[in-house]
Amino acid sequence: MLNMLSVFSVLRRQFLENNCLNVFLIMRRSKNCSLFSLLRTSLKELVYENTTKRGLWLSASSLVHEDLLLHPGIPSNFCINTRSFSIPAKRFARASNCRGLDHHDFPEFRVLNRFLCSSEAGSGELPRCWNCGGAAVSPGPFLACGLCGSVQPVDQSIDFFQIFGLERKYEIKDGNLEVKYKDWQKKLHPDLVHSKSEKEKMFAAEQSARVIDAYRTLSKPLPRAIYLLKLEGVHVDEEKTITDPDLLAEMMDIREAVEEANDSHALNQIQTQVEEKFEKCSRSFEQVFKMHDFDNAIAAIERMRYYDRALEEITKKL
Amino acid sequence: MLSFSGKRLLGLGHRVSAAAVVGRGYHERVVDHYDNPRNVGSFDKNDSSVGTGLVGAPACGDVMKLQIRVDEESGKIVDACFKTFGCGSAIASSSVATEWVKGKKMEEVLSIKNTEIAKHLSLPPVKLHCSMLAEDAIKAAVKDYEAKKAKHLGNAEAAQVEKA
Repeated sequence: MLNMLSVFSVLRRQFLENNCLNVFLIMRRSKNCSLFSLLRTSLKELVYENTTKRGLWLSASSLVHEDLLLHPGIPSNFCINTRSFSIPAKRFARASNCRGLDHHDFPEFRVLNRFLCSSEAGSGELPRCWNCGGAAVSPGPFLACGLCGSVQPVDQSIDFFQIFGLERKYEIKDGNLEVKYKDWQKKLHPDLVHSKSEKEKMFAAEQSARVIDAYRTLSKPLPRAIYLLKLEGVHVDEEKTITDPDLLAEMMDIREAVEEANDSHALNQIQTQVEEKFEKCSRSFEQVFKMHDFDNAIAAIERMRYYDRALEEITKKL
Repeated sequence: MLSFSGKRLLGLGHRVSAAAVVGRGYHERVVDHYDNPRNVGSFDKNDSSVGTGLVGAPACGDVMKLQIRVDEESGKIVDACFKTFGCGSAIASSSVATEWVKGKKMEEVLSIKNTEIAKHLSLPPVKLHCSMLAEDAIKAAVKDYEAKKAKHLGNAEAAQVEKA
């Protein structure tokens, strides 16, 4: 049964064995916990006590300090003067940035982790990393761990809008979807985990597939509209035959015109007309959706789909 | 995606060879209806003996128009034609539908089921809704004719009442 003293002894042991990465992890892991300030003091004392290790620990403390800058009340003398350290900071930085800590080097960490879990106040809501047990600390959806970088299993309750940090509505001006999409793939892509465990490879494959799905759904207006309705629990029945004479007669005319058009000029004209109609439907969808008028929303989507199909045919012909 | 089969009559489309068919998986009957389209065309919508069924499938944005010409005395369908914008399965389904309704009575064609059409064309499950569309088109055409007839009779009666 782990207690507070044991945590300190774990920290001390890792420090004396020069396992700076593990020390770094313990400090990071306890960030949300009530033990944190005590552990910090303990680390400071260890650094002062062990002057032979000073060089190594100077860079350790400065990195811990940088990382913990978010923590309020850090004493100004925590960070020792870093100019006299002998170990190049870069080497340490690289070591501490490496993801997926291998637990063979640090068996106590899991036990420590469970202990720290129970002493954390009000963190029951936060999802935890399967690898290091760290709570989700940064804002945004928990797709990859902010502490150890491990890709997390897919959480179906995180919807596509949350993945891209957007409000759940039809209009997505300046969503910067592509930039965010690429950012996510830098963290989740399966190519980045080819040397990791099978479990993590599977998580990476599923997560990045989900992000791709989200990007494709949200970047085009029609799938976005259908997805919005789906989130509201309204299913657009795709198999049902429709007999709306006005819409169908209109579509017949448009499709016939596309068939008969022989030059790109005529096709472009039709294209512009259909695009305008699509836009009008799109705006109408936005209106009725805001008012939760789902019947009309479905009708708008049906029209949009027909126009979309016609536009596809025109594009093919061009 | 195969387009409106009328285009093929003008020789503008390219032929789907048998080898390609095997690779893509369209049944030979479907290809047959695409290569040798039957009953493509239009009747005059305003003709009193013509019933027009116009249906659409929102899933794929298909539009299907099926028209029947009915002999008033016998109640038999003497001619049928169709115009479909959609995939090969949709075109074939409507083509088969026009072939099957010819020479039958209106009550009989209402019993044509989409499963029969699908079986005849060996449609894969993903294309079953195309045959459903054809069945709905037949029903819509019959319904349109009946409505026209009723209106026509109604007008004739009104005219007679006025004369009297």
